[in-house]
Amino acid sequence: MFAVEYFEVECPEPLGAEYYKQIANDVLLDHNLLKVVNKIHIFIDPKIPVFVAVGILKRITSVIRVRDFANINPQEGKMTLVISDETYLASTLKIFWERFGKEKVEQPDRFTIILYGVQTPPAEIEEIVVADPSESLHKDLIYALRCIAPEGFRLRSEIFTTEKFIFVASENTLAEDMDSLVKAKFAMMGEVPP
Amino acid sequence: MTLVPVTYKGGIFQHDIVVDLIEDLGGYVVQKHLIAQEVVLQCFVPREDIELIREISRPLFGEVTDSPLVGTEIAVVSMSLEIHHLPHPSCDIAEYVRRLGAKSNMVSLARGPGKRIAGLNDEERDVINEHDLAVFLLGNFETCIEYKMPTLRRGIEVPIVLCGGPAIDILKKITDPPLDGYVGNVGRFMRRTKEADQLDKLDEIVAEVTRVLEKKREEIAKDPLSVSPARLMGLIREKVPAILDVTSPTPLTVQMAGLRVKLPYDSFAADLRKIEIEDGITLGDVADVVPSRMRDYILVRILPFSETNTVV
Repeated sequence: MFAVEYFEVECPEPLGAEYYKQIANDVLLDHNLLKVVNKIHIFIDPKIPVFVAVGILKRITSVIRVRDFANINPQEGKMTLVISDETYLASTLKIFWERFGKEKVEQPDRFTIILYGVQTPPAEIEEIVVADPSESLHKDLIYALRCIAPEGFRLRSEIFTTEKFIFVASENTLAEDMDSLVKAKFAMMGEVPP
Repeated sequence: MTLVPVTYKGGIFQHDIVVDLIEDLGGYVVQKHLIAQEVVLQCFVPREDIELIREISRPLFGEVTDSPLVGTEIAVVSMSLEIHHLPHPSCDIAEYVRRLGAKSNMVSLARGPGKRIAGLNDEERDVINEHDLAVFLLGNFETCIEYKMPTLRRGIEVPIVLCGGPAIDILKKITDPPLDGYVGNVGRFMRRTKEADQLDKLDEIVAEVTRVLEKKREEIAKDPLSVSPARLMGLIREKVPAILDVTSPTPLTVQMAGLRVKLPYDSFAADLRKIEIEDGITLGDVADVVPSRMRDYILVRILPFSETNTVV
């Protein structure tokens, strides 16, 4: 079910842990984050109360290029791009407008872009980078963890690096020994904190 | 004559025959929805005439089903308006009780979430008290429910059905004094309720709500109301034409022992009190007309027989 290597929710109330595992799975799935999270350990103690989520991220090196979602058909005086996935259409158009000028770019429908009188070879257009998924990754992850954490836990301490993340939340002032708790949770996954 | 709550579903063609029939039989249409080519009537009809309505509506492909929640207004109390609680499960539950005829309102608390920080203010309390029943949707941890429930139920006089993550026996154990209804294993979740087991859970909530409301109906029957809320609704619609211009989906919301009139209190309360029901008895004689905490609406609370000594 989970595409992640390690996924555990620890809680003194076993039923609560089960529900939170489901919530965490749903939220990560909704935000398309299961493919970037490698390991995640969530610890909740409603008695203290505290919510801790620590984890390891997969490295995302790939960027999205035009060739990943479009086919280019060069014709005389124009080039037609057939789009298979419109997720990156807006950013692609923006890049084309800047590079070739608005008068040379036409978009007759959702799945087609036509470039008129563009001298750049098709192979070069195919290589244009249109999006970098890792840019929005942290933003999505922070949002997702805030969704997973109980809503009343509004005092937060968050650390996000390129490889690891720590998210601690409580409704009371966070205790000073949170570092040792975080360390212990990382140790359970066989890792060390960043 | 006992009036029972039913829902009529049928085509829009000639549906006025059914409306006329219900009115002629002494029943009341509480809500009427026209959805594309379909019409849904939520109504009170005499028990012995249900078969007759079925008979007459058969050529129109009409369908009459029992709807125990018609004529009730239910508050679905969600802890906040954040993504954590909406749209699932709060909206799912609010929508599900609506299907069975209830008018459900969502009440989201300003400071509902959390354990120590959870609270209920006077406006929220009063708004909840204007309903027939409150469904409290709490979270997944028994520690939190045990800690915050005494605060959240303070001052609530209407029956409460508590939904929470822990099993039903644990919910019963941690609430003292006991609440009116419990549904276990429905805490916070972040997915749409569409699988069979999730729908069963919603059915369980509706069954519990129905059970608690039945109990309340029995209580009311021991000291009957001076006038039926559905009858008052018809009268107000007839005598206060301004209600017909209100764009709200239910300008007159029927409750078990009252009515919410969605007109400004200052300009219409006096007119409402003066409405004559029968033989010189006015609405003001048999009901309290008070301002509602919900916007500037009017709340009509029908007095029981023991207080007015009249039944009209």
